[in-house]
Amino acid sequence: MIYLDNAATTRPDGRALGAALSFTEEQYYNPSAGYAGGAAVRSAVERARASLLAHIANEKFALVFTSGGTESDNLAIFSSAKRGNAVTTAGEHAAVEKSFAALRARGIETRVAPLLGDGRVDADALLSLVDEKTTLVSVVHVGSETGAVNEIAALARAVKKKNPRCIFHSDGVQAFGKIPFRLTDEIDLYSVSAHKIGGLKGSGALYRRRSLHTEAQIFGGGQESGLRSGTENVLGILAFAGAAEDKFRTLREDYDRLRAYHDELFAALDASIFTRLSARDGSPYILTVGGRGLRGEVLVRMLWDRGVVVGTGSACSSKHPRSRALEACGVEDGLLDGVLRFSFAPQTSREEIVSAAKALNDCAHEFLSKV
Amino acid sequence: MEKVIIIRYAEIHLKGKNRSYFERALATNLEKSLKGLRHELHRMSGRWLVAAFDEARTEEICERVGKVFGVHSYSVGLLTGSGMDDIFRAALAVAPEEGTFKVETHRAYKNYPLTSMEVSAELGGRLLAARKKLKVDVHTPQNVVYVDVRENGSALVFCKFLRGAGGMPVSTSGKGLLLISGGIDSPVAGYMMAKRGLTVELLHFHSYPYTNEGAKEKVVTLAKLLSPYTQVTRLSTVSVTHIQEAIHKTCAAELNVTLLRRFMFRIAERFALERELKCLVTGESLGQVASQTIEGMTSSNAVVTLPVLRPLVGFDKEEIIDRAKEIGTFETSILPYEDCCTVFLPEFPAIKPKLSYIEEEEKKLDVPALVEEAMGTVETIDL
Repeated sequence: MIYLDNAATTRPDGRALGAALSFTEEQYYNPSAGYAGGAAVRSAVERARASLLAHIANEKFALVFTSGGTESDNLAIFSSAKRGNAVTTAGEHAAVEKSFAALRARGIETRVAPLLGDGRVDADALLSLVDEKTTLVSVVHVGSETGAVNEIAALARAVKKKNPRCIFHSDGVQAFGKIPFRLTDEIDLYSVSAHKIGGLKGSGALYRRRSLHTEAQIFGGGQESGLRSGTENVLGILAFAGAAEDKFRTLREDYDRLRAYHDELFAALDASIFTRLSARDGSPYILTVGGRGLRGEVLVRMLWDRGVVVGTGSACSSKHPRSRALEACGVEDGLLDGVLRFSFAPQTSREEIVSAAKALNDCAHEFLSKV
Repeated sequence: MEKVIIIRYAEIHLKGKNRSYFERALATNLEKSLKGLRHELHRMSGRWLVAAFDEARTEEICERVGKVFGVHSYSVGLLTGSGMDDIFRAALAVAPEEGTFKVETHRAYKNYPLTSMEVSAELGGRLLAARKKLKVDVHTPQNVVYVDVRENGSALVFCKFLRGAGGMPVSTSGKGLLLISGGIDSPVAGYMMAKRGLTVELLHFHSYPYTNEGAKEKVVTLAKLLSPYTQVTRLSTVSVTHIQEAIHKTCAAELNVTLLRRFMFRIAERFALERELKCLVTGESLGQVASQTIEGMTSSNAVVTLPVLRPLVGFDKEEIIDRAKEIGTFETSILPYEDCCTVFLPEFPAIKPKLSYIEEEEKKLDVPALVEEAMGTVETIDL
């Protein structure tokens, strides 16, 4: 099976998972327990935290373990936007988009910056929405459908220049462990997820500037410095840290190699049918294409039957919404029903790319010959 | 004194020589529905008694009995001796602690030393003496204690009549085939025909890969929800993918749905005849969608000889939805899985196509070969 839906989730990193599992089988104590066993688990969690921090952040940052990207986004947003207005982009994941809708329901004014044709946020438009009453700006790092990479360091700097008191958050779920990047002084909050890089589902984290006041959204036993109560997901946390170590070790080589595969895959697709919808210079991990006259959902199932697993940005029905992000960056109507997303992992091979391209061309021709 | 569930059937269906046939069918269906729960089923003239069950599971048994067609009403009660002391002990166990009440006695055993009125009076007096907070009210009582004096020295004592599913025992009207989609209507249609005693086998049409696995799982769930009523525990599926593709490629777009339905009917009839099912059942309701017009139904009927039963034909959508909620299929039916891909839906379907036009368009297809091929894709799932 050729698995090219790694932006949806990844196969767990066997080495990291094995190590985390054998640790938790032996050391299953509650990290809050007052005896030595508890302390041992506690220090394993702290080592994982330090390791995850070191990959992208300096000592000014702390990290809160959460249940995943969605919770991290929620924690960041509801802790930050208490009054005034909050600004985001049209290219966000639902975790941010729907949280902003909830802010609106709570009486906070929300402002949404449009996207450019390549899927990045229109920086000028974003800045023009920020004023002295803005309390939060949230900008996705890598768009999950467009693969567009927002220059969040530069955006954060520009935002802070306009309003030094507003908080800058970024959803880094599709960037972390994939895109060479470090948190800069102007970024306050950064959401990441474990299962997009070989960790387990149900595990994630929020990087936060230490000096920033963060308000808990979940109350209880006071774990995670009171910011996220609930007994720590020790297995998830250790597997996350282990998977991240593996990813960061080869991040640069993987990035360059996948860039080549990404281009090779697109070049191998039938140009009379497929248009590239993801940004050419975006994340090499995501290639989104639109097929004229195709139905993405149907193609996904045809490909599955041929042993090729890909994702879709669209659904085969008028009742399902089309991709918001792709619509927002102006993709023409005729392509929106035939959207397919290939997303890679470091273990993706060149042979798989070649086979996947052939399978997609075959399926597309078959589909077009029938309907 | 033993806890029992008293099951009554509507005698109106059971007149004459067919009575024992209906009674036996009902007993078979009750046994099926109580499968897996310890119990005994006893006959008592005009009733079935469920006895020797685990009292902790009374509610579960009632829930299952409540879904068996042919059950008019049922009661949870006590089976005891017919002596006045026995009856009183049982009445104390079922009677409320306070409020108004009356006793209503029925005597099947006419040689019982007391008349019905006397039993009621005697028992009422004893209950009043035992429970100080009870009061008699023979006109509008809050509670009624029913006593049913049976022959051979036994009596039944209970307080409530629970409404059964009504109708006739499934299987007593023969067997039919329900064309089940993932929508709201067809499960209700199946329910209604089962209520009239029809055993409804299920056939679902899919067009994978144009429709998805979720749509099929949804139909499996619907079939499982129906099975306590229909007592049918399997579902067959058949692929019409190639038929849809052929129609789409070859025929006038406005007839897509009309032509597909004719194929579905042909396949359903083949399937039914092979399994000795005597009719087709659909969830069509007149005028609900473009294909559910008189012309649409005429066009479908024209390709089959088996009768096509459409129990919802005169129902409003609202009425169908209410029924679906009652039987518990509504929540599943509205899950967002399509049973047809938009790629095949014409922008303007023909609402009143002439049969001659339909037949003319259909001639462009190799109908027997397409039906034959579809029959080869039949799969049966045990629920």
